[in-house]
Amino acid sequence: MRVENAEQAAAHPAYRKALADLLLQLADDELCLGHRDSEWLGLAPDIEEDVSFSSIAQDEVGHAVFFLERLQELGERDPDLLAFQRPPDERRNAVLTERPNGDWAATIARHFLYDCFDAVRLEALLDSGYRPLARGVAKIRREEHYHGMHLSLWFTRLGAAGGEARQRITAGVESLWPDVAGLFSLGAYEAELIRYGVIACDSAEMHRRWEERVRPAFEEAGLVWPGELPLPERDGRRGEHTLDLQELIETMGQVHHLDPAAQW
Amino acid sequence: MNHGDSGRIQYDVFEVFVQKTQADPHVHMGSVVAPSPDMALHTARENFLRRESGVNIWVVPRREVTATPYDDPDYFAREMDRKYREVSGYSENGRLWKMYREKAMHLDDIVRDLEEKPLRDR
Amino acid sequence: MTEEERQARFMERLERGEKIEATDWMPDEYRRLLLKLIHMHGVSEIMGAFPEKEWVPRAPTLKRKLAMMAKVQDEMGHGQLLLRVAEDIAAPLGKTREDLVTDLIDGRVKFHNVFHMEAPTWADAGVIGWLVDGAAIINQAALLETSYGPYARVLKRICAEESFHMQHGENIILALTGGTDEQRRMLQDAVNRWWESLLFFFGPVEVTEAARKMIQYKIRTKTNEELRQQFFNKYVPRIRSLGLTIPDPDLRYDEKEKRWRFTPPDWKRFSEIVRFNRGPKSRDRIRLRRFAHEEQRWVRKAMVRSGAAQSVV
Repeated sequence: MRVENAEQAAAHPAYRKALADLLLQLADDELCLGHRDSEWLGLAPDIEEDVSFSSIAQDEVGHAVFFLERLQELGERDPDLLAFQRPPDERRNAVLTERPNGDWAATIARHFLYDCFDAVRLEALLDSGYRPLARGVAKIRREEHYHGMHLSLWFTRLGAAGGEARQRITAGVESLWPDVAGLFSLGAYEAELIRYGVIACDSAEMHRRWEERVRPAFEEAGLVWPGELPLPERDGRRGEHTLDLQELIETMGQVHHLDPAAQW
Repeated sequence: MNHGDSGRIQYDVFEVFVQKTQADPHVHMGSVVAPSPDMALHTARENFLRRESGVNIWVVPRREVTATPYDDPDYFAREMDRKYREVSGYSENGRLWKMYREKAMHLDDIVRDLEEKPLRDR
Repeated sequence: MTEEERQARFMERLERGEKIEATDWMPDEYRRLLLKLIHMHGVSEIMGAFPEKEWVPRAPTLKRKLAMMAKVQDEMGHGQLLLRVAEDIAAPLGKTREDLVTDLIDGRVKFHNVFHMEAPTWADAGVIGWLVDGAAIINQAALLETSYGPYARVLKRICAEESFHMQHGENIILALTGGTDEQRRMLQDAVNRWWESLLFFFGPVEVTEAARKMIQYKIRTKTNEELRQQFFNKYVPRIRSLGLTIPDPDLRYDEKEKRWRFTPPDWKRFSEIVRFNRGPKSRDRIRLRRFAHEEQRWVRKAMVRSGAAQSVV
């Protein structure tokens, strides 16, 4: 099904509902991760990396803005209100993206695992029947190229270094592993999203493609594959979140909530 | 590279050269310290191109650069008249062409005319 | 050539307006003064990231969040540029990036007083962007003519980026002044908090021995007081035009002497803050830098190790 613009989408309530849910998943993943990335400002292990990692954080938040703007076109609130005012149960990010950073190794591991998933998901959206989404995805994918390159260099080098770095990255991966499968969930409207041609593959296929990308990097890094991904305890795509997200949202909204109606 | 044998970490210095478009030469922008050349390329991008655009980056280990000294200005001495190899040395052409009711030709005119109209359309 | 002759030739180069480069011969005194100035400038940029960084997670709109990230990133980028310059000056003394950052953590190099202070509200983030950066821009623009070539070159880039910071800071301030009573009160409180720090930022009124030497070596060309007066000229009318009060009842322009009269900041208190890291946030922020630098040494070690293995392959 080819949908050229927001008006056409809005005319089809079931379609609009599924599409809006997916846009929230995309926006919330990027916003949470960008927010977490930005916590590293001034704290990265060297100054050059501080600057580079900040660009990645800005890109992620920038992508979130793009998805939120598409939601606004569909008749949702404006992007700031969507970002600052929704309670946790209305958030659709995967739990993995809301977790605190941990050390640099865990940060790199999470970002790398997420970026591989994001690349798979963007690929599946490249020919999305919802044309405004497909057009944006083409641009976002180009920006994500640098992230993928940079994070995979970090991931493999930290692992290949052996010693403390490998221990830390192994520990990081282990702590993240229970949340990874949550990335592949497409939420409550998976069947509709596939049927309407909004996204090209289902969560099982995304999982398979993700593993195809990630396994060689584990090998290059000299890391042991930690085994089957456990079924996630919570599905973030259905609004099931941890206290970490609650705290993140409260922090994010601190100034905004002083006066939500004011211009800032 | 010193890799921590003495317990001291030593990133290498890499000079960074950026090419803005393929019609431009690589231009020196500054330097980064990095643990390896590939990481130097990655961080050079954000340390020097986070606003400007570019098509290519070189990183060169500082120790591979051979340079002239600054405190020997005579290295660049050009004292005698070399007008014979400059445009400005031929200003009389304009006056001479006038005798033939023509104007002196300049490269800029040629370039401009070529840009205005593709040859095949003439 | 004797030492005196070299010194004399060096001073002649400066008189001719030539720039000095890292590989040139220079008097030890010139090297030391330069290193002290640029090292402090560089680490101040890096410490200057912290007060604003606190407001990135809490920035009230997505646009502000992005801009604040870009701004803090630029501060780190300026730190990078300046530290590279300082590293090359320090190289003959056997010092590297590692050492220059360790000097900061161990209190062997100072950083600007303003970055020892608290930034408890969003309006503080705005005032830092507007007035603290404004003061820093005046300082840095005055250094563009410096006799040290590598410093002059990075300052050019830094000043170009600061012009974005200026717009960003003003934009936050203009939003607050155009906002609610509560927002204006928040802003006035922040201006009150920062005023004295801003005056101290430019340094003592009298020209110290080190400052005199720096002017003699053309490392800098303006005195502290000239720059502070410039700050008053530019900012006092703007602050007042927004309906804000400057917390100095004695501040006025003396027409006869053509200069601003002001109540001096508490010189003793601030110089102790800077010299002994005794400001309200000095310790916290040094602890953050210690985390980044010392507690993550394992990262740099690992990357050097596996990077080297890579280049052998």
